[in-house]
Amino acid sequence: MQNVVERVINLLIYLLDSPNPVTAEQVRQTVAGYGEQSDEAFHRMFERDKDLLKRMGVPLELKATDKWEIDFGYTVDPDRYAIPDPRLTEQERVALSVAARMVRLGGVNAGLAGLLKLGGVEVGAGIEPLAADLGAEGTVLGDLYVAVTERRRLEFDYAGSKRLLDPYAIAHRRGHWYLIGHTVDGERVYRVDRISALEVGKEAGAFERPKHFQVKRAMSTHPWEAGTDETVDATVRFDPDVAWWAARHLGVEGPGDGPLEVELPVANRDAFIGWVLGFGPDAEVLGPAELRQQVLARIEAAVRAAQ
Amino acid sequence: MTSDRTANRLSRILALIPYVLAKDGAKVSDIVERFGYTEAELTRDLNTVFFCGLPGYTPGDLMEAYIDGDEVVIDAADYFARPPRLTSMEALGLIAAGMAILGSGQGSPELEKAVDKLTKSLLPDGGAAIDVDVSGDSKNLAALKMAATQRRVVRITYRSLTHEEETLRDIEPWAVVTTLGNWYVQGHCRMVDAERVFRVDRIRQMEVLDEEFERPSDLTEPGIGYTPSDDDIAARIMLSPSARWVLDYYPVDVLEETKTGTEIRFTSPDAEIPARLLLRLGPEARLLEGEEVRARLVSIAETLLTRYR
Repeated sequence: MQNVVERVINLLIYLLDSPNPVTAEQVRQTVAGYGEQSDEAFHRMFERDKDLLKRMGVPLELKATDKWEIDFGYTVDPDRYAIPDPRLTEQERVALSVAARMVRLGGVNAGLAGLLKLGGVEVGAGIEPLAADLGAEGTVLGDLYVAVTERRRLEFDYAGSKRLLDPYAIAHRRGHWYLIGHTVDGERVYRVDRISALEVGKEAGAFERPKHFQVKRAMSTHPWEAGTDETVDATVRFDPDVAWWAARHLGVEGPGDGPLEVELPVANRDAFIGWVLGFGPDAEVLGPAELRQQVLARIEAAVRAAQ
Repeated sequence: MTSDRTANRLSRILALIPYVLAKDGAKVSDIVERFGYTEAELTRDLNTVFFCGLPGYTPGDLMEAYIDGDEVVIDAADYFARPPRLTSMEALGLIAAGMAILGSGQGSPELEKAVDKLTKSLLPDGGAAIDVDVSGDSKNLAALKMAATQRRVVRITYRSLTHEEETLRDIEPWAVVTTLGNWYVQGHCRMVDAERVFRVDRIRQMEVLDEEFERPSDLTEPGIGYTPSDDDIAARIMLSPSARWVLDYYPVDVLEETKTGTEIRFTSPDAEIPARLLLRLGPEARLLEGEEVRARLVSIAETLLTRYR
């Protein structure tokens, strides 16, 4: 490991310092630690080292070494290697340390490794009393982050068909990550964990995100607000037992000890009926009549499906 | 594939160098703490850096790195003067962490400023590209977090998810956790004298008592799990493809998965949860086995049908 660490640091310095892209052969002849190897051993070693640099976030690029594009070589642009220093104050760094220790992404405290590069991490005093698990597998989300920040077009499989879109943002809501983007049919929202066969476009800055775009406007607060059904205003009554809880979820004034009656705009009837039925006998859709009919049909179907 | 240990060691070295270069006289004690080093590890890494530099590798080409008294000295390393780029997951992890804590209402003005600076430097066209919302009832969250920190007993009026009834309990809160879209408080429940997890949104009322409690010393990372027990009722359910989301929200066993449906085994301490789930799924789920669940479903449905018909 000692040799690997030394060799990779030397390789990185060489790549950062060379004004032009360098070929694998040049690396072999120049950088300490590669020289004594056989052809095969060198290539294996060089592949591994490049892979390691990329994994650490180093923007290693393959570029033509001449304008006729005959030979290609490797380069690391010093301006892309480094980030503009956010210049965090000590208090800000400590506040971020605490947050990064509390929040897990893809099963790890991913932010801590990032903070190490921005001046180090503040050691915590034991276990934090607050924790948030933002779920999600690392690879797809990492690629989506690159796509939205560098404005690269995306292609992927979703619900059995190919999608092509300009990704505007990624958002975490109700325990899941979502991708919001622009397709030929307009703005669409996708659940990240249902995306597969993701291809990130080669061109950065491939589209413009509208200036007025806001995630908060693109994403609904409640699942029944997002849909393609004709919007109806539904009236629901919650029994006193659960009224306080429903009020809390809906963000409306609590009813005290009595029942709660609210009117809600519904654009996804399926999701809405599901939500109301989740209250069991403690909630009832009062109107409109056609929505009541649909609730009734769902209950009857559920009873049939259980026989 | 090179091991994670090598990658982590390299990452730490490349983070350390710009920090020391930017600082006029970096104390060993400070470095050790910030970068999670032991002094032996730090010495070893500095020795490694000392052997690296520009091709030629004569003394004039190599970096300087050593400990002088209580200070770390690094020199002749201009190419590493600025902090290295974060990987996409490091950047997202850090921004999302800040946004999550701010969104839960448990942040501070410092955190807000830090997130603002981060989005400006990491996201070229502003913060519009990332959004994290884990909001819960911030008043209850704050009180529970405070109680967990100060180890104070909390009296809660709780509406159980499994029995649909309200109980008054004294709990010893260990941690407040959010996962899969809900906030939970994990701790010892004095009413049942056992470890329990409560959903924060189902706490109707709460009062932080003056009484303090002892937290178990062997407590690990907070986590939310449900362990089935022998007393549980079980049901076999066939989900249609559009009801597959159930797998994401309930701890179920997948028995068989085909193009036309997913067969699951659903265990729960009470029939109420699977019965209500089946009710909301309507024709999207079929109960294959589970008499108690069937009976409960029919009973809820009867009550509802008399209202709707």
